[in-house]
Amino acid sequence: MSKIIEYILTLWIILSLNFFLPRLMPGDPFLFVAGDEGNTVAQHTESIRESYINYYGLGKPVHIQYVHYIFELFQGNLGHSFHFNESVSAILLKRFPWTVFLIVSAVVLSTIIGVVLGSISAWFQGRFLDHVLYFCLILIAEIPAFLLALIFLFIFSAEFNLFPLSGAITHFAGYKGWKWLADICHHAALPILSLTLVRSSGMYLLARNSMITVIAKDYIRTAIAKGLNHYRILFRHIIKNAMLPIVTRIFLSLGSLVGGAILVENVFSYPGLGLLMREAVLMHDYPLIQGIFLLVTVCVLTANYLADWLYGCLDPRVSIKSRK
Amino acid sequence: MKTKHVLLLTVIFLMTSIIACNTNQSPEKQVASNRNAKIIRLEGGDWGYPTPYAHYPRGPGGYKTNLIFDSLLESDEKGLIPWLAEKWKTIDNGKHYLFTIRQNVTFHDGSPLTPEDVAFSLEYANQYPQSWSYLYQSIQSVRIQDKRNVLVTVKKPSVTMLLYIGRTRILPRHIWKDITHPQQFTSKASITGCGPYCLTAYNKSHGIYRFEAFKNYWGPKPAVQVIEFIPVSQPILAYERGEIDMAVVPPDVLPGFQKDARNKIVKSPAFWGIRLLFNLKSVPQFQNKALRQAIRYALDLNALVEKTTRGAAIPASAGILSPDHVLFNPHVKVYEYNVNKAIALLESAGYSPIDKDGTRNDQNGKPLSFQLLCSSGARISRSPISEIRIAEMIKEYLQKAGIHIQVKSADQRSRDAAVKNHQYEMVLLGHGGWGSDPHFLKKRFANDIRQGNSLNECRSFGYHNDRLNVLLNQQAITFDHQKRKQLIAKIQMLLSEELPEIPLFNTTNYTVFRPSTYDGWCFMYDHHSLAHSKLSFLEKQR
Repeated sequence: MSKIIEYILTLWIILSLNFFLPRLMPGDPFLFVAGDEGNTVAQHTESIRESYINYYGLGKPVHIQYVHYIFELFQGNLGHSFHFNESVSAILLKRFPWTVFLIVSAVVLSTIIGVVLGSISAWFQGRFLDHVLYFCLILIAEIPAFLLALIFLFIFSAEFNLFPLSGAITHFAGYKGWKWLADICHHAALPILSLTLVRSSGMYLLARNSMITVIAKDYIRTAIAKGLNHYRILFRHIIKNAMLPIVTRIFLSLGSLVGGAILVENVFSYPGLGLLMREAVLMHDYPLIQGIFLLVTVCVLTANYLADWLYGCLDPRVSIKSRK
Repeated sequence: MKTKHVLLLTVIFLMTSIIACNTNQSPEKQVASNRNAKIIRLEGGDWGYPTPYAHYPRGPGGYKTNLIFDSLLESDEKGLIPWLAEKWKTIDNGKHYLFTIRQNVTFHDGSPLTPEDVAFSLEYANQYPQSWSYLYQSIQSVRIQDKRNVLVTVKKPSVTMLLYIGRTRILPRHIWKDITHPQQFTSKASITGCGPYCLTAYNKSHGIYRFEAFKNYWGPKPAVQVIEFIPVSQPILAYERGEIDMAVVPPDVLPGFQKDARNKIVKSPAFWGIRLLFNLKSVPQFQNKALRQAIRYALDLNALVEKTTRGAAIPASAGILSPDHVLFNPHVKVYEYNVNKAIALLESAGYSPIDKDGTRNDQNGKPLSFQLLCSSGARISRSPISEIRIAEMIKEYLQKAGIHIQVKSADQRSRDAAVKNHQYEMVLLGHGGWGSDPHFLKKRFANDIRQGNSLNECRSFGYHNDRLNVLLNQQAITFDHQKRKQLIAKIQMLLSEELPEIPLFNTTNYTVFRPSTYDGWCFMYDHHSLAHSKLSFLEKQR
């Protein structure tokens, strides 16, 4: 029960921060005194600007706007985007699945790669293979996701023409069924690969450390002494016991992956939440910023809750301790 | 950190090599140009639903809407031309405008365009501001004179009213008459216009648009049957791969495109620029014209252009209007780069010689030391011009004349807010619209107008000049083109002498396209983009 109150309190604090922080940024959504190179912006007169401010209720005192926001939120209304001129929930519904697709794929792949390589490295600890893997993955970890995305874009898309340059699907192609699915995977391949590689090293290090700790345990020495099959020792005794921190990491990484996705989506013009978040912040689109951060918050809290629950399932000692 | 730098450099090298390799093709014979095309593809991205109320207030949104919705007047390369209005008359010194509406025009749903539709659209735009029309609350009445003529009476006569009325999109009254929230009206009926194209596909998330030619269009036949806008992350690569048929090319990779005879490269008019503003209220030293002129003499704009835009710009005129503007006065005062002249000007104005710190003092012993605010350039732009780099160069130049500059950068919105609230000493502002009607000079400099918060209206805060005021007010009600042209020329002369602000440079982009795919592109007299002109997609009269 106290856990749920904790979550509700966290949600309320984040909701309030989401509401007030964008409004603390200097400027307002309808103030443009400069423009991007090569682009033109409508030159709103003061009367037009004021009419927009009143239309979207920004002329009211902030506390009234806050009460209104919370009230509307309870009714399931996330508001109307100033810039995109559409209800926030409709925008999120269209964009969120693309980001989920990228993130979930990247988490699954990076977990598999990280755990497999981490296990190999731990098994061959101190030997040549361990050193090579350690060096390579540390090197990859140093590269930001967007930079890796750019490298992939220029090599695989521009130079070798193996993947599309941008977007999530081939437009106006009219693909259906398997062709449509293949087209989506083809477009998502490089963004997923960029995110996966960057995440893999973190997972690799965690898996390696966790495994090394487990390998040093007496029951593993006993298993080796008993002459058990190496694969049985690795998968049955080591990986199973080393999984706890990895599982936690999987869920916790969901939130941080959104950050990486923002930049990668920008590189590939991928129509997900990341690209949307950048546009919303640049445009001071308060309702959309609130909507996006609310969604991310709910996802992260849910992931945390699941991590707590799963941790308890995997290691009954945790739930017993928390009950005590 | 070092690893990151090395990686970044490697990637930049890779990118440059790849682009260079791709563009380094052998010259071929000139390919015939194509004046008609079945389909062309252009760089997309979401710019809003293309109705006059729902598109985003940015160029690409507005000009897509123009393909669907016609207006009373249109813009060609020389000026305004009759469009839905066959002719027009300015009556009583701009108090009234009489428009004769073209006959046999139909909307996309087959209903005829009537003077009622025109009157409704203007009144509606007067009541609800269109995303890209400045008619809001400026019309007193609209009267239908007869079956063909509509008389518009404005609240306050001004030379720009014709432009504002003429560019307002005409809507079908039967569809819009009951709509009270036009921004949110985005049903299929909302994209019924009488323009040359109909919208057949739009996806907000993916940023795609598809326009098909309207078969019963009243005017010049559409030369392109289908226009598709698709999202691209790297326009140059997308052009090279044939995914899009036009791209804006940075000067670095231009030679590669020039070598390939299949490409045609067009230089755009210089209608985007950067200017340096002074705050004369918070820093009274800027009231001194000699100081402002000395600053201008101390700046080497040619070098600034070369180093910050790699040559894709021209030094701006001290008279503010771009050299490519139809009303540009070539006889304005010219300030050649001359540090000695700057120093002489400062010393004759009573500023002390340069002291040990390398700075001068004014008559009150106050050092000539100012803060220059600029945008940190956080926005990812196709051709990013770093304002910080410009500010740093200005700092170096002015230091030679004994003026110390402290560069302060802020994110774009913070800078904009500081400009709005006059919280700056000197500030750099970059924006488009330098080709628009010079009436913006009145909004920028006339003292009887409250400072606006739009791009062209921000002024050097605290500047006042009675003579300039008179000229600006006079041009606003001078409807004779030649007389107004003379007034605008005088205004530019005065501005170049007074230098209430210092325009630095105007950018000139290079657009590349394949004439064999389509070669009907043209500019508008006041705009820099080929793809934004509606006439680009219509057959030309020979």
